[in-house]
Amino acid sequence: MTGYLLEIGQALLALLLAPGLTGFIRWIKARLQGRRGAPPWQPYYDLRKLFGKEVIVSKHASWIFHFVPYGVFAATVAVTMLIPLIAAPLPFDAVGDLLAVVYLMLLATFFQALGGLDTGTAFGGMGASREMTIAAIAEPTIALAIFGLAVGAGSTNLGRIVAGTLANPGAVINPGHLLGFAALFIVMLAETGRMPVDNPSTHLELTMIHEAMILEYSGRYLALIEWAAALKLMIFFSLLSNLFLPWGVVTTLTPGALGVAVIALILKVTVLALAVSVLETRLAKLRLFRVPELLGVSFVLALLSVTSSYLLR
Amino acid sequence: MLTLLTVMITAYVAGALGALLFGGGAAGRGVAALGAAVGSGTGLALGLTAVASGEVLVQAPARLLPLTGLMLRIDGLSAFFLIIIGSIGAAVALYGFGYAASYEGRYSLRSLGAMLNTLLLSLSVQVAADNALTFLIAWEGMSLSAYWLVLTEHDAAETVRAGVWYIAMTHAGFAALTAMFLLLADGDLTTSFDGMRANGATLSSSLRNMVFVLALFGFGTKAGIVPLHVWLPMAHPVAPSHVSALMSGVVIKMGIYGLSRVVLDLLGGGPTWWGGLVLGAGAVSALLGVLYALMEHDLKKLLAYHSVENIGIILIGVGAGMVFQSYGLASLAMLGYIGGLYHTINHAVFKALLFLGAGSVLHATRTRNMEKMGGLIKRMPATAFCFLIGSAAISGLPPLNGFASEWIVFQSLLGGFNIPKPEAAVMMPIAVGMLALTSGLAAACFVKAFGITFLALPRSREAENAREAPLSMRAGMGLLALACIGLGLAPFIVVPALGRVIAGLGRLPDVQTQFTSGLSLASPNGFGRMSPTLIAVGVPLLAILTPLVMLALGVNWKWRTGESWGCGRLGQTARMEYTATAFAEPLRRVFAELYRPTKELTIDFHPESKYFVQSIEYRSEITPWFEKYLYAPCLWLVRLLAAVVRRLQSGSLNAYLVYVTLALVILLLTARM
Amino acid sequence: MNDHDTLFAQLSTLSASAVLLCGIALLWRRSLSAYIKAFRWQSLTLSVAFALIGYFGHDHDLYIIAVVLFALKVLLIPWYLNRLQTRVGAEREAQPYVNVATSLIVAGLLVMLAYAITRPLVMVSKLPTRGGIPLAVGLVFVGLFVIVSRRNALTQIVGFLVLENGVALLAALCTYGIPMIVELGVFLDVLMGFLVMQIIVYHIRDTFDSIDVEQLSQLKH
Repeated sequence: MTGYLLEIGQALLALLLAPGLTGFIRWIKARLQGRRGAPPWQPYYDLRKLFGKEVIVSKHASWIFHFVPYGVFAATVAVTMLIPLIAAPLPFDAVGDLLAVVYLMLLATFFQALGGLDTGTAFGGMGASREMTIAAIAEPTIALAIFGLAVGAGSTNLGRIVAGTLANPGAVINPGHLLGFAALFIVMLAETGRMPVDNPSTHLELTMIHEAMILEYSGRYLALIEWAAALKLMIFFSLLSNLFLPWGVVTTLTPGALGVAVIALILKVTVLALAVSVLETRLAKLRLFRVPELLGVSFVLALLSVTSSYLLR
Repeated sequence: MLTLLTVMITAYVAGALGALLFGGGAAGRGVAALGAAVGSGTGLALGLTAVASGEVLVQAPARLLPLTGLMLRIDGLSAFFLIIIGSIGAAVALYGFGYAASYEGRYSLRSLGAMLNTLLLSLSVQVAADNALTFLIAWEGMSLSAYWLVLTEHDAAETVRAGVWYIAMTHAGFAALTAMFLLLADGDLTTSFDGMRANGATLSSSLRNMVFVLALFGFGTKAGIVPLHVWLPMAHPVAPSHVSALMSGVVIKMGIYGLSRVVLDLLGGGPTWWGGLVLGAGAVSALLGVLYALMEHDLKKLLAYHSVENIGIILIGVGAGMVFQSYGLASLAMLGYIGGLYHTINHAVFKALLFLGAGSVLHATRTRNMEKMGGLIKRMPATAFCFLIGSAAISGLPPLNGFASEWIVFQSLLGGFNIPKPEAAVMMPIAVGMLALTSGLAAACFVKAFGITFLALPRSREAENAREAPLSMRAGMGLLALACIGLGLAPFIVVPALGRVIAGLGRLPDVQTQFTSGLSLASPNGFGRMSPTLIAVGVPLLAILTPLVMLALGVNWKWRTGESWGCGRLGQTARMEYTATAFAEPLRRVFAELYRPTKELTIDFHPESKYFVQSIEYRSEITPWFEKYLYAPCLWLVRLLAAVVRRLQSGSLNAYLVYVTLALVILLLTARM
Repeated sequence: MNDHDTLFAQLSTLSASAVLLCGIALLWRRSLSAYIKAFRWQSLTLSVAFALIGYFGHDHDLYIIAVVLFALKVLLIPWYLNRLQTRVGAEREAQPYVNVATSLIVAGLLVMLAYAITRPLVMVSKLPTRGGIPLAVGLVFVGLFVIVSRRNALTQIVGFLVLENGVALLAALCTYGIPMIVELGVFLDVLMGFLVMQIIVYHIRDTFDSIDVEQLSQLKH
């Protein structure tokens, strides 16, 4: 029973932290670029405002348009219930493994793209097309990184992977492990629409990807989608930190350890957020057709990670 | 079971005869559909009984057809394919009743109904065949009836061309299969499969290799393995849609049935390179299939290319199973085969569903060109919903059936590190990468297929005036959509059943005890666990909870409609929408090295100033490389040979008589020796 | 295996993969200065790898080699390459024979091939450094691939240097460095080879006004 409570608790924690994470990255970026920037908690205000606003729906939209925000949000929240944020292994471990997590996120992307196409504007179509292209090309890297992790831990189940790495700390400087981390990091940038793949703060017609897809959304729908996007970032950050550097994740439940786990999670995510902010400040956005090449790099990294952990057993 | 078998065969025969007798009109359609539906339903029941009870039925219908040497035997594998034939057949029969109505007065309904029943009959007999003769007769019956059905709309040049390709390829495959069975049966086609099992074990390894290669070629042409698939994207789209569903859903699966029957059952597995070849062919088919599908804007052709892709996924599973089997890794081998077969039935269901959906669209808009569709979700809501389910299923999205089987195939590939030989082990991560890319691209392709066809504004008058399909068509689609959901939610029933089926062949130990049979599905040796059932409960639950929580928190619930935002332009027309071509353009550029598109741009400038354009024409085409580099030389060779042979055709009667005499003499001489 | 050896094994494999990654980074970049930078980083990690192997393998000659390597490949050759680049004009590797994405995937497959080939060696070897051997062989392949697939004479030179780095890494991993005198001789060879190549580059440019090696096919006529 505590397991299930913990499960719900960690999903709520992720939901709560996610907007703050986005805000924090924005704030750090602003600081790095010599601007004052909005405070890190700005996204919470934004969400509140959006939830209070009326929705305007295009007259060409069908029921898909109305369903998409809920579908995307539900699929993303479902993922947070499957991944180890503060404790592992959790009871829902048997509901979905890493593959299920990846496919649930693909499900969210699928619906999001349909939502983009539904209103029939050129922007929506453009965003959907680009988003699906990038999602598709990122897929093999994710699968191979999973392969590398799974072979190392002897399981695709997240709890087992975390426990496996905790039991064998030397594996962390294993090249397979590090290469896998690098590969997933690049994929994370692509999947969550960060620089250099997509510019999360642009609304310039020709360069936007994710923003183009959700251009028609407003009010509570937009709030849900924005929240889901922040949550997706949170999910990727916690996956990266907890799969590759699992210290702090609770394996035996005590209140004190849980507190440590929450703090450890926040710390790790903060470090990653700092890294991403620095990257986003330093890098220019890539041309769309160089993105597949970047994903090619990540694919090679993942392939090497698998080969080294796989053929050198 | 015997009664069921008899009823099934009788129903098909009656349906075929009835269709011939009653001819066109509702009566003819009804009788044909009834025969097919009753036959399929009985076949389904027969298959289910056989799988559930594990009984094997052996029958030589000697009383019915004396002196033919026909032999029937229904074991687990046959029963499993009978289930596929039965379930798709029933939905197709139902749908066909409504769909064929639009053919009245234009094409022969007599032959359509009769051939549909014949096709179903030969499919059912084929999976139940117990010797090469029965198998080959049914195979040929299936090929010919399918050919006849493809040619239903025989007045279009495209159809005729497709028919020629189909019949040529299928007969090349048939020749290979006959040779294969002759080798395996030691020259006597009436040898029972039991005899062949014994024979197969005694053959020398080079002969076994030959049998395998011939089987792969023969069954590969039917299944549509790249590069033997060229006929598939031509023939499937031009057939009537319910026939396309049957062909893509069931007929090409006979390649998979044959391959598993011969390689797994009759030969009992082989060296690693067999599995490696199947796995490689599967991975290449999967990737190329989806890549060419992405570039198609003919809805049915797109689906046909996806059949190539899914056959590839099935073969990845089967090939991985063969590789593991050759290393004696029984439980992983089992997992691979189960993944392959599970995907076989899943693909049958969702591909049939999608073809039926495409048929409804075609029925309503009279076009297969996606660029002329759009906005159909408001005009045909039921069709759109069914098509959406099919799209999500084929993209492997949880919790539908495509996800369950792809997950198992992935799990079996992930077990690859158990292989002691690195050369073989290396294939697995590469296959994982290719499979993942395939499923990602498939999702992109179905966003395109569904989004462009059903969403946004109608792009033509036909699409604007489209009407929902009649009840029988919707019922056919609805059945299959339910099957998609059911098969996705119940892997804990399907997987152990498939384990029993494969173990029943006696080549692999049954490892079903190693699958947990609770709601969640665990791979043997506990490598992974997941439960599509619980995901299917969880995600919708969250999707319902979200608005409830929002209501409770007092979120602003008002909404109003307005114009789409368009940078200040007035009014929105369909010409402003993203097209299918535009949607696929990024991927076309990413994979330009593979597609090698030709481009042609003609611009007519205004005579006064070149800043004004009078007309602009852009043409870009993609010719699949295998057509250019593989088939073109083959055709050239055939033409060359034909030119040589033509010299024999003098037209003089005496010359022909000389040939006959010569042939007789040579025959007598060789026979004497 | 004791802790010392385990750590040694981990670190040597790690440094070998870092060297390899620098080689692969080359394939992703286009401009010549990026090529030179990647090469410089690679040489730097390589000399660190040498020092590491020297420390853990108790072979202090390797320190000297690491220093020479640093001087030669991190300072001298890149500096010279940069000068060369300014003299002949910076041409981008605009159109390699094999495009970037495909190159990357080919590189990945080449490394897998290297794993498959060196498998028997790695299996019988008892060295703690054996984990890096396939990576070094992979690097040799990647260097060869750069030479084969690029059309700019200068990038081809960088490819050659990368290949040479791979050979040096392989030597260090397999034998903890061949006798120092041989090693130094090899370095001298590389330097000489490099000098000869740069002269050829000048000649190519003088003749064709470009250092695209495609032009060389004109010599046939």
